[in-house]
Amino acid sequence: MLEIQHISKSFYRKVALDDVSIHVQKGEILGLLGPNGAGKTTLIRIINRIIEPDKGHIRMNGDLMTQQHLSQIGYLPEERGLYRTMTVEDHALFLGQLRGLSKRDVKTQLEYWLEKFEITDWRKKRIEELSKGMAQKVQFICTVLHEPKLLILDEPLSGFDPVNVELIKQELIEMRAKGKTIILSTHNMKSVEEICDRAVLIHQSKKIMEGRISEIQEERKTGEYAIKFRGSMIAFVNALWTSFELIDKEILGDDKFIARVKMRGDNTFEDLLRALLGQIKIEAAWEVLPSMQDVFIDLVQVKKEVSNA
Amino acid sequence: MRNSWLIAMRELKERIGARSFNVMSILGPLIILGVIYMLFALGGEGKQHWNVLITDPANIMDNKILVTQDKSVNYSFANDYIEMEDFRDSKQYQQFDAMIEINEKVLANKTAFVFFREKPSVRMQTNLQFHIERRLEEVMVGRFTNLSVREFRKIKQPLNVAFRNAYDPFDKSADLRAWVGFFYGALIFVFIFLFGMTILRSVTREKSNRIVEVMLASVHPNQLMLGKIMGIGIAAFIQFTIWALIVGAGLFFMRETLFPDMLDASNLVQMTQEMKDQTAMDQFLGGIEYNQFVDLIYERIQFGTMTAYFLLFFIVGYLFYGAFFAAIGATSGSESDGQQFVLPIIFLLCFALYAGYFSLQNPESTMATVFHYLPFTSPVVVMVKLAQGYEPGQVYQLYLSLIVLILSAIFILLIAGRLYKNGILQFGHRIKIGLLLRWLKKS
Repeated sequence: MLEIQHISKSFYRKVALDDVSIHVQKGEILGLLGPNGAGKTTLIRIINRIIEPDKGHIRMNGDLMTQQHLSQIGYLPEERGLYRTMTVEDHALFLGQLRGLSKRDVKTQLEYWLEKFEITDWRKKRIEELSKGMAQKVQFICTVLHEPKLLILDEPLSGFDPVNVELIKQELIEMRAKGKTIILSTHNMKSVEEICDRAVLIHQSKKIMEGRISEIQEERKTGEYAIKFRGSMIAFVNALWTSFELIDKEILGDDKFIARVKMRGDNTFEDLLRALLGQIKIEAAWEVLPSMQDVFIDLVQVKKEVSNA
Repeated sequence: MRNSWLIAMRELKERIGARSFNVMSILGPLIILGVIYMLFALGGEGKQHWNVLITDPANIMDNKILVTQDKSVNYSFANDYIEMEDFRDSKQYQQFDAMIEINEKVLANKTAFVFFREKPSVRMQTNLQFHIERRLEEVMVGRFTNLSVREFRKIKQPLNVAFRNAYDPFDKSADLRAWVGFFYGALIFVFIFLFGMTILRSVTREKSNRIVEVMLASVHPNQLMLGKIMGIGIAAFIQFTIWALIVGAGLFFMRETLFPDMLDASNLVQMTQEMKDQTAMDQFLGGIEYNQFVDLIYERIQFGTMTAYFLLFFIVGYLFYGAFFAAIGATSGSESDGQQFVLPIIFLLCFALYAGYFSLQNPESTMATVFHYLPFTSPVVVMVKLAQGYEPGQVYQLYLSLIVLILSAIFILLIAGRLYKNGILQFGHRIKIGLLLRWLKKS
């Protein structure tokens, strides 16, 4: 769908992007991750042709990106604004027409989205009359109004209450099901785990990681297991003896715990279960995968340490 | 172009919906009309309607006055002597504001006395004098010549001795028409300033509320800038049209109702001409100054030609200066920063007004020629020159100036487009010359 090939961009002496290449597949949600100032926004602006790269190029469906391709993209920037004195309908008409829709198509689409979000009575409201969250919804609608094939969303969930966060997430999942491609730039790692198929991590202007979420987590697992059990914590620790190491524990009740355990030597998960059987009552046991938050922090910190050294 | 047009229409809608636009659309022309009214009324201050008693014991005037009677004066006749004291104190004469004494010697000594209760305005004095003179003229022509009044007046035309400055033979500097040109030019700059500031505010607001990034994902920065300048320009044009209509209607209304007699230009021109050599100097000057203004407004301004060129120079001049305002808005790091950098533009606008005034006073000077072609000053200077009139064979200067202005506007729009493109997404910085140069070099 989108080939970002060897993109470099500098602002005078500051390198914003250094030879970044990403392949975005059709019908996937790609998480674009990175700490502040990593170069994510620069990359997004380059995709949207707001700024030009110093080197490299971008292809969309095999063709070099041109201004014409912009009508296939829906972009919701992080720092987004609206014209405060315009009504919701006028705003949609204006932005929809700029994206190539006819007035009639805009009205039809707007009707669909207002009904879907159950906000039909907002149509004639001025933006200045809306709360921040309401305005965010309007911004989202204006972004998807022209049914873009590629959606680029920069922190789309910020400013929403939990109910609306869920609503937008479901909407994105639905769009993916319809074959839309979505690039999601966010610091909300939980939502990355929940809805992204793949993730790219940019740090200090370079791409330092790319892959499927499940594979990234798999690659970085540390051999930790979690055991949910009933019984005595002392009995549990005694059963571990010297073959296993207790990393952490969570007390759920008087005799109910979740313990995180790591193997020592060549011991396996089966060995662990065998050692515990009869000592405590196991309710559940699973392999602990690192969260995307852990992966993020881990990678960014390692990189920082390397560059400091 | 479609995108620029959409942006222009959005801007236009926003401007027209703004309260300030509507207030200024009404208030602006009302202020202009107020000033014109004041100028008119200044000459006609004092009592507007006079009741005048003419004492004509010898019945020289045959109880008649001008056929096209002035509505501001109501004449009554008495074929009797009335003493001044009687007129002043007697109850029966209290209704009269003045008494004109036409004694039997009037045809010989050419003197009539006017006794007034309250000093008439210069305009009223001119009116009274004109009416009496014309009637006596008819009487004299009938009595002493075999000519018709029309023939007599033809002969009577006084010799017009025209004083000419050897350095300014066409007397352009003193020509009131030049001031009309200056007024047109000044109007261009007032609109450029008002709507240039609107461009600046609009750009900085879009920057500060960050809508600009959404826009730039759909349109090229140059399209955005052009659309903005166009939309606000159309709003300026609409406001100007409203001003023109209201001022035009106001002038018509004044002519028809408030100053019908005074603004009867056919009477007026003749009256002033005839009075030139025959009246006291102070009255003459007062009358002429006043009449010239009225004459200027209703008779001498070539509204059609002036307005056509006004619109051309207004549009191109607006694009030229509008690009500066847009560039300042886009390159400024904050709203206050932008306002600060408007100062040089304001100086330029003031300088252009001064250049217009300078050209008015020194039309033949080299500097006036320079200002005529300089794009910063040409809109006002050309208006002055246009009002003064181009010499035959020199009209090409007008076209040349317009071409220079158009080319300059295109050049400035290109430069501003580059600054706009590179500066519009920069926030929180301070404008430095080095930074602007860097943005200019960047494609």
